[in-house]
Amino acid sequence: MKLSCWMDDGIVGMMLLLSAATMAGCQQVVSIDLNKANPHIVIEGNVTDQQGPYVVKISKTGNYFEPTLSFPAVTGAAVVVTDDAGQADTLRETEAGTYESTTLRGIAGRTYALTVVAEGETYQASSSMPAKVFIDTLYSVYRPSGRGGSGYDIYITFRDPPEPGNYYRLNATSSRPIPSDSIDGERYRLYTDKLTNGNEMQERIRAGDNVLVGDTITVDLLAIDQASYDYFNTLRDILQSDQAATSLAPANPNSNISNGSLGYFAAYTVDTRKIVIR
Amino acid sequence: MKGLVIMFHSESSSIRGAILARAPASAARLLLKSMRLRSLLLLPLFAVSCPRDSTAQPSHIISGTVRDAETGEVLIGAAVIARDLGSVGIATNAYGFYSLTVPDGSHVIAIQSVGYRTQTDTLLLDKDITLNINLTPQPIRESDVVVTKERSNTNVTSTEMSANRLEVHEIQEIPVLLGEKDILKTIQLLPGIEGAGEGSTGFYARGGGIDQNLILLDEATVYNSSHLLGFLSVFNSDAIKDVKVMTGGIPAEYGGRLSSVLDIRTNDGNMKQFDGSGGIGLLDSRLTFGGPIVRDEGSFNVSARRTYADLFLKLSRDTALNRASLYFYDLNAKANYTLDDRDRVYASGYFGRDNFGYPDLFGFNWGNATATLRWNHLFSDNLFSNTSLIFSNYSYGNDVSSGTSEFTITSGIRDESFKTDFEYFAGPKNNLKFGLNVIYHTFLPGTVTATSGTAFNGISIPNRYGGEYAAYIAHETEVASGVMLNYGLRYSVFQLYGPGDVKTYDADGNVLTTASYGPGEIIKTYSGLEPRVSANFTLDDASALKASYSRTSQYLHLLSNSVTSNPSDLWVPSSNNVKPQYADQVAAGYFRNFGDDEYESSLELYYKNMQNVIDYKNGADLQLNPDVEALLSYGRGWSYGAEFLLRKRSGPLSGWVGYTLSRTDEQFADINNGNPFPARQDRTHDISIVSIWQYDPVWTFSATWVYNTGNAVTFPSGNYLLENVRLVPYYTERNGYRMPAYHRLDLSATWTLGPHSNLNFSVYNAYNRLNAYSIYFRRDPDDPNKTQAVQTTFFPIIPSVTYNFTF
Repeated sequence: MKLSCWMDDGIVGMMLLLSAATMAGCQQVVSIDLNKANPHIVIEGNVTDQQGPYVVKISKTGNYFEPTLSFPAVTGAAVVVTDDAGQADTLRETEAGTYESTTLRGIAGRTYALTVVAEGETYQASSSMPAKVFIDTLYSVYRPSGRGGSGYDIYITFRDPPEPGNYYRLNATSSRPIPSDSIDGERYRLYTDKLTNGNEMQERIRAGDNVLVGDTITVDLLAIDQASYDYFNTLRDILQSDQAATSLAPANPNSNISNGSLGYFAAYTVDTRKIVIR
Repeated sequence: MKGLVIMFHSESSSIRGAILARAPASAARLLLKSMRLRSLLLLPLFAVSCPRDSTAQPSHIISGTVRDAETGEVLIGAAVIARDLGSVGIATNAYGFYSLTVPDGSHVIAIQSVGYRTQTDTLLLDKDITLNINLTPQPIRESDVVVTKERSNTNVTSTEMSANRLEVHEIQEIPVLLGEKDILKTIQLLPGIEGAGEGSTGFYARGGGIDQNLILLDEATVYNSSHLLGFLSVFNSDAIKDVKVMTGGIPAEYGGRLSSVLDIRTNDGNMKQFDGSGGIGLLDSRLTFGGPIVRDEGSFNVSARRTYADLFLKLSRDTALNRASLYFYDLNAKANYTLDDRDRVYASGYFGRDNFGYPDLFGFNWGNATATLRWNHLFSDNLFSNTSLIFSNYSYGNDVSSGTSEFTITSGIRDESFKTDFEYFAGPKNNLKFGLNVIYHTFLPGTVTATSGTAFNGISIPNRYGGEYAAYIAHETEVASGVMLNYGLRYSVFQLYGPGDVKTYDADGNVLTTASYGPGEIIKTYSGLEPRVSANFTLDDASALKASYSRTSQYLHLLSNSVTSNPSDLWVPSSNNVKPQYADQVAAGYFRNFGDDEYESSLELYYKNMQNVIDYKNGADLQLNPDVEALLSYGRGWSYGAEFLLRKRSGPLSGWVGYTLSRTDEQFADINNGNPFPARQDRTHDISIVSIWQYDPVWTFSATWVYNTGNAVTFPSGNYLLENVRLVPYYTERNGYRMPAYHRLDLSATWTLGPHSNLNFSVYNAYNRLNAYSIYFRRDPDDPNKTQAVQTTFFPIIPSVTYNFTF
């Protein structure tokens, strides 16, 4: 769990209270002239303990204000994933910039290595898949009032293993399309056992009115390694840039890929549970 | 003989201190010897000689204390001048004391201080005499009709540079946010000092960081100077007597921070009668009360204030909001007593606390407590000493509720210190200062106390302990006609003590080794010599050239998750992993007064080099991290600039115009590909115009206009897609962009209702400039494919009114 996030929440909260107290504070859209950086390679690779194929995507950066969700694909790359038990799989390019495994099987406890040769440069990364951690319970509670108004709270419990150094990511999605890709708008729900080692963990997601009776909520508990946690944690820092007022100078996330590539390569286990809101 | 000679000879690579003086001087010798100052060999000669020893003409000492005639408050920085001897004179010290040695005979002694009628005494000197002076306050409007030398030119004649003293009336007339007066906001209007951002009491001095400022309240270090997250400072201006800020040529008596010293002295209290003052504002109310303990022998002063925004919150119907807390309070208390002609004791204290909370979400509280016990002792008419015992504590608490978990985080720092300072007034234009300072620091990096039934384990990062020791000597003398030299040396030592585990780390922050130390065991020692030199080349009565060099060391560092000062910021000691910071600064300036010293002007140029400035590795989690030392990276910073100041202190219209042109860069091996980048505190242009106009006895107006180049910030230069949906900004260079320029006009009018009350009307940001507090980027709510930049403004135009009274 990242304490500084709560601190930030608190500080933003204080700012809001202060603004309210001074009857002030406003926001406006402004025009900012940003440089156009040279396109830079982005590699995104995942290996899980679920059935493959596992996907590695290779693309390039674009201009910041350009209205698009499609970015230049890097094609014709040589992409190989190996593990420390002797598996090796050369990934096939199934569409431009998307490379899929054929034989690889992700197994908890093993370490996976990625090698990409693209446009004359070689990029390497490795990631260890931790032991699997299972969701113990998943339930919802209707809250008639309180902060954020009425609505459903989703509770997830799981037990942290006795040895320290566990890292987690939780994803919660709904069967019904909602504006955000998470049921409460929280994009990266990350946890460490720094302060909670070996304990029963209980996490609450305040879904509010994003969740209605009849919706199916899917929760994935990912056990990730430290480097992946570090990556997603620093990624979250810059994506929550609406807190930039108090945060330090932003920087690209701490990637585990060599040779200056953006993106990450992560091996992790996934435990999925579903609940239907009644 | 009343002489004191300290000389150092090089002899078999050791120092022989030859001190021919009385008891205090032998204490000085012990002090110097114990320092093992071999490196003092670098100094050619440290010599103070009394002219009476060498000249045939006998001379004697005039000494005493300068006070306000109405209140008995001692006056700091008042000039005592033998007018018949040209510019021979001295300024009173922080306790109002002066000592002037002049040849026997008849002299005209003038005593002057801004805001007071100058007093002139003619006296025949044939023995040492005590001359205590009471100066009568002068109504501001009177000064324009008095054309004699009412004004002082000490700004031109002293060796002091890069220093500014603020008059209390200036602080009182310059409104900051919500009609409040605030010294930390007011000093940001001086050249060389820049505010760290809108609504921040943090400041940057000549390109230095927020933590490089030594802030002293009656000699006690104040570790966090902000209330309400920096919207106001912890200093209640009603309690303040004198404010002096130094950004260069820092005298040897100060140390421990790289970039500036802010020396704040509080009122002693009325020695003649009971009096008080107060104010009722939109944000807070204030009350000050003081008076004699024994008339003309002792007095006390108490100031208190409290905000009441939370009282309005209680009126809210929202059951969460009406339980929210949002307030601060502070209390300054001081007492002094004159034991006899030669001894005076003081006790002073400060206690302040902020409280911020929202039910079931968070609660913050933080505050400083300081206490100072002081003893002034006069060993002789020309040897003054002050000895202080000082306590300072900063603590921070944070209650967190998250999910079903609740816990409390606490952290802080505590100082206990001893300090003794001597001033030896050896002769006209010949003064010696020396002293020593011992501080014992206790660092409390953080403890988590979990309430029962939560998933959280309690955690405590072990305390750390450090000793900071310093001894200094500084000599000011006229080395040639019209050339004053102030040269000094400070020797500082920092030691980190056990108990504690000491770790070493590899480049990735993994622990390599761990060693355990017992209580009191020395873990690491740093020491260094800090030469301080400043010189004045007087060109004529109204102009001078000045130059200075200073080296400063800093053994304590502030780790902050944010760019402004936060209550959670953590002070950490230098250690085997954390290196001390060092700065070397050279400055040169031209000082010129106009119109019979009515206008003061100065142009200063400086260059400062800072070693081991601290930044953080990306994603560094500084809170409750036992391995926080592995998250730091060290680099170099350098700053240079030109500062112009034109100032008018007296008359119905007073104020100043300040302009700073500067540049500050930093370089770190692991940031920005090792390339230099502009520091966040880099401001190309910084302009302040401050004017206070006493229109008539009823109305006083003031206006302040500020302009500065926007902060250097990091914006993305591209973006990319992750997980099919997330647009991620791509950063190419650190601080490669600028925030929009900041400018603002504040207006204020004070309506004097009678001898005991006034109403102050003020308007903050009068032309409603929407200054950017921050700029962030988000997806366009109307078109998810687009990204837009959003600017947050905290303070548009804000009018306010305050009622002030005295009794």
